[in-house]
Amino acid sequence: MTYSADLNFSFAHTRRVNFGAGALNEIGSLVGDLGFERALIVTDAFLLEKTDFVERARKSLGPRCAGVYGGVVPDPTAESIDRGADEARRIGCDVLISIGGGSAIDTAKGMAVVLREGGRVLDHEGYHALTREPWPHIAVPTTAGTGSEMTMVTVIKDTARGQKTFIGSYYLHPLAAVLDPELTVKMPAKLTAATGLDAMSHAVESLLSNLRNPISDACAIQAIELIVNNLPRCLRQPDDLAARGQMLIAAALAGSAFSNAMVVLNHALAHALGARFGVHHGTANAIFLPHTMRYFSDVAADRLALVARALGISEADQQRAAHQAADFMESFIRGAGLGERLSDYGVKEADLPGLAELALGDGSIIYSPKTISEIEEVVGLLKQAL
Amino acid sequence: MPLLFPSNEWTQAYMQAVNSSDAYRQAGKDWTHGPLALVVKAEPALGLAKDTALILDLHQGVCRKAWVTEDMDEANRQPFCITGSYAQWKQVIRKQLDPIKGMMQGKLKLKGNLTVIVKFVKAAQELVNATTTVETKFLDEK
Repeated sequence: MTYSADLNFSFAHTRRVNFGAGALNEIGSLVGDLGFERALIVTDAFLLEKTDFVERARKSLGPRCAGVYGGVVPDPTAESIDRGADEARRIGCDVLISIGGGSAIDTAKGMAVVLREGGRVLDHEGYHALTREPWPHIAVPTTAGTGSEMTMVTVIKDTARGQKTFIGSYYLHPLAAVLDPELTVKMPAKLTAATGLDAMSHAVESLLSNLRNPISDACAIQAIELIVNNLPRCLRQPDDLAARGQMLIAAALAGSAFSNAMVVLNHALAHALGARFGVHHGTANAIFLPHTMRYFSDVAADRLALVARALGISEADQQRAAHQAADFMESFIRGAGLGERLSDYGVKEADLPGLAELALGDGSIIYSPKTISEIEEVVGLLKQAL
Repeated sequence: MPLLFPSNEWTQAYMQAVNSSDAYRQAGKDWTHGPLALVVKAEPALGLAKDTALILDLHQGVCRKAWVTEDMDEANRQPFCITGSYAQWKQVIRKQLDPIKGMMQGKLKLKGNLTVIVKFVKAAQELVNATTTVETKFLDEK
């Protein structure tokens, strides 16, 4: 793989990653090492009530635990973030610890901005508009998929305007990420597969993106190798801590890759399917991924050949390798129990133009390796997944 | 005669260029999201003493009004405000820096909803193309 002479990029990621089984039990030491005295845990009601994760963190933090905000909601709303910031101000804290999936981590990122800058979270929507570090934030993911612990973005649902918006900034990376495989062993098989394949999509799409760079490529390739070797192990034996740990690392690497290189058409399609038919984000990505790979094989065979190599395929011809990678991906996804089609979710042929239109208006599409502007082209791809 | 960037003369010529662009009219026909402020950061060494904003009142493929201001509160009140250094705006005008890529890489700072901006990537490209039809004199060039 060679890169063009005019290559220019910035690459940024979370400063510190603590990995290991039981790492959550050491969070008190980490908080102390970083010089903080009052930590507020940010989580959702399910994790608070149905798991011992928060209790473990509390125990490790001891007197450094200032309290818990359990108001995280799926697809965090501006209101839920503002409520969290109000609660943090009321309690008084010098660091936030998010425990949960992407929603908890994104909520804490939004709270961190409000705590530093004041106002309400939507006052700060924008990209690279922050001029200083937000409130310190340590992220503890409990799924291996979103990679939000490594990204510089928080996605916020603006219910008043009926749209999603972003705050993105190099400053928004968490101060540290704690990757503890013990937190993911109880994930149900379907969620394990869906989140794992979300991470796979992040990795593959970042390699396809026109914004990719040598560092994001390295992260993505390593993530693909880890996922292909460890997701099946997690599904066969859910308490395999080694495999669970490597999936957490893969999700983090894929998060770093796409935070810097962005995603492409596959995520645009998944966003459209999620919005119209309520399909889980990871599942939606899995439905489209092999088709997206085939769709781009004419212009991105070199990059798909890298995917093929990471998947363990040895084929010297790039075009053939690209197609073999797509075929492999299709059977890998089926093997993970997610070999579903659009029709399984009630999507009919008549729905495809609407889905295509929605995908064409999604920001994820713009760094795709070829320009996609015709609705018929996207409908053609969607038909493959019907 | 080349027009100095940034200046009111340049901004008025740019508005005319935008309104003469069929490609922009088509690409921006669904834009109903309000004015766009483009802020050039002060560069005293080049003679640009204060932050300067070009505000474009874009609506459905037309630039209804364009003006220059040094009032950053006014610039920040617009629904979208993009800030960059003089060198970066020069790169944009010379088509050496794609503005959306510049935003993603932090070379340009966006205040506003990114998801709206990226839906109009073609319109953004046509706005850049329109700059190339304005004969421009840059502050750092004799």
